[in-house]
Amino acid sequence: MNAFLEALLIATVIITVLMTVTAWALWFERKFAARMQSRLGPTMVGKSGLLQPVADLLKLLQKEDILTTHADGLLFNLAPVLAAGAAIGAAAVVPFAPNIVGANLDLGVLFLLAIGAVTVLPVFAAGWGSNNKFALLGGMRAIAQSISYEVPLLLAALVPVILAGSMNLGEIVEYQSKHGWFFAWPFFLGIPAFVLFLLAMLAEANRIPFDIPEAESELVAGVTTEYTGMKFALFYMAEYVHTLVASAVAAALFLGGWDGPFAPGLHWMVAKTLALFVGVYWVRWTLLRFRSDQLMRIAWYFLVPTGVALVAGTAVWVVWRS
Amino acid sequence: MSEKHTLDDTGNYEHPLYKTLLNTPGLSVGVASLDDLLAWGLTNSLWVFPMATSCCGIELMATAASRVDIDRMGTIVRGTPRQADVMVVAGTITVKMAPRVKLLWDQMPEPKWCIAMGSCAISGDFYRNLYSVVPGIDTFLPVDVYVPGCPPNPEALMHGLLRLQEKIQRQRKGEKVVPDVNPDLIHVTKPSVPRLCDAARTKEMDAAQLLSATNATTDETSEPLAVEFTGALPKQELLAADFEGVLKELGVEASATDGPPLVPAARHVELAQRLKALGYRQYVSVIATHWVAKTGRKGKDEAEPEHFEVVTLLRTVGAKSRVASWSVRLAPGESIPSLAKVFAGADWQEREQWDLVGVPFANHPDLRRLMMPENYTLHPLRRDLAADLPLAPWR
Ligand code: SF4
Repeated sequence: MNAFLEALLIATVIITVLMTVTAWALWFERKFAARMQSRLGPTMVGKSGLLQPVADLLKLLQKEDILTTHADGLLFNLAPVLAAGAAIGAAAVVPFAPNIVGANLDLGVLFLLAIGAVTVLPVFAAGWGSNNKFALLGGMRAIAQSISYEVPLLLAALVPVILAGSMNLGEIVEYQSKHGWFFAWPFFLGIPAFVLFLLAMLAEANRIPFDIPEAESELVAGVTTEYTGMKFALFYMAEYVHTLVASAVAAALFLGGWDGPFAPGLHWMVAKTLALFVGVYWVRWTLLRFRSDQLMRIAWYFLVPTGVALVAGTAVWVVWRS
Repeated sequence: MSEKHTLDDTGNYEHPLYKTLLNTPGLSVGVASLDDLLAWGLTNSLWVFPMATSCCGIELMATAASRVDIDRMGTIVRGTPRQADVMVVAGTITVKMAPRVKLLWDQMPEPKWCIAMGSCAISGDFYRNLYSVVPGIDTFLPVDVYVPGCPPNPEALMHGLLRLQEKIQRQRKGEKVVPDVNPDLIHVTKPSVPRLCDAARTKEMDAAQLLSATNATTDETSEPLAVEFTGALPKQELLAADFEGVLKELGVEASATDGPPLVPAARHVELAQRLKALGYRQYVSVIATHWVAKTGRKGKDEAEPEHFEVVTLLRTVGAKSRVASWSVRLAPGESIPSLAKVFAGADWQEREQWDLVGVPFANHPDLRRLMMPENYTLHPLRRDLAADLPLAPWR
């Protein structure tokens, strides 16, 4: 019972922190994007526009809730909730510090990948339920993209799993704190696997340059085309939480998680996660969008073979070293 | 739209829950400050739906870009009407576009506002007397803020947004916001359709009805204008040899006078087919003109009855391209056979000429309106229509 209460407490804290960070991540992204385009970004709402997310939230709360004719009400209304739920669910197994983890699963990595695969279902449900051709096209693109990029993501995540000999994220981090980060040694496996993981992660979270499911120039707003008010906000949040959690996982798998000198573990984990998060923004506001066919080609012609080679190489390396 | 969301007498957005709370004793203080908070949220997060149709749209983009940057006040541009709060109509709205604008407006969730940006959106600007332009979007949309200019500069639009914020704040406090205009500046003739803000306008008069009223016919029996035509067409100096040959075979005389050779309507398709076989594979254009009756001048030219002239232009594809063009004369009521079966490219061009000038193309596969709204009944480029006759009720 005590363990349950503890887990509940940690979960509450993690969800609250995640949501808060997400809200101001939106502010940060707007500021960041503005500076990239030599603008100022939000300045008028609160100091440096810091209250902007609050205003947006209050506004979205007051908007009319529209259900289009012939829409599938159940799917349409459930999709945003599921999307947010799945994105937050992935945070359960992320070790933020040696003993701050929602659920210390032995199959943590597997759980993460499974949840990552589930996140595409609400997206498709939204596309189908909206009774809108743009939303449906967006949903179909999301499915195609997610299935393709699931494979390189899995292969890249296998590299640290094989190296550490465990699927428990906490144990992987511990292994790295003893034997050095996988990013640093063996770097010829760690760095390519890290890059592969980041690319596949960007695609999974539908971020530019892989955001064709909601390409504004062709699909209006993709699956969220028909969503108003808070339902749209949930989708938006889910996307950011997804990116945030994926950054945390990448930090744990390749950058040694909470391991680091001087400061306590939590600080290091947060710093690494946020650094990766900012990196994602950087990519987003720098690059253009791929075409749908180019996207598939990159996945199947380039990323998947690289991933297979990396996994094979890792296996050989582990056997040779022991 | 659902009935839950209603507007009260001052035109404010109101939710039934809000009313219930407001009437509960003791809660009113809390509700009042909560309402302040909500109003603050509304005013500081105005997401724009860019209804940009022409040049003003460029300034709208500039407003979002680095020098002015509406993101400073929390305004971003959303591509879907479902997530927008303000529709900025930037540009000329045509009679055909108006129902689409209305549709997009109806798709935006309440509470929503509208900014008319630029003279075109406000009054139709110098296109006001054109057959196809809506003289001001406030004939079918409730406009909150007018931003004048042609185009208004980005600062003006930003100012418009700030004024809108002010308006929302005051409306939420229960004030009725009346437009502050200086009467001395107004020399605008009002359109015959009452604007949305006019007391004379009935509530039932919505865009669909306005549009169906465009079918109001004009007085077609009116005397055609007598126009003197003095300019001479340049003489066609050089006919390509093969074109001339085909004309001879068909028994058409290459016109010794001005302009392209005159071909009888019965020979129109045959000529086109032969020319296509000779390598004239590109259908460049068809241009129909309506000529009103001409009163001849003594010793200079002859009187001519009212007629249509249809000039077709073909060319060969390649380095040394040859051109063939001929004209067909039609009396009013006569039709010309369509070339859509010979050249696929003729399809839309003939539709356009029929739509605007009213020349009937016989055997055309799909003779529908192209430029004008589907239920329009007139052909606006006919010379006998005075400029503002068929345009009711948009003015
Ligand atoms: S008001 Fe002027 S700038 Fe704006 S759309 Fe009309 S003509 Fe163009």
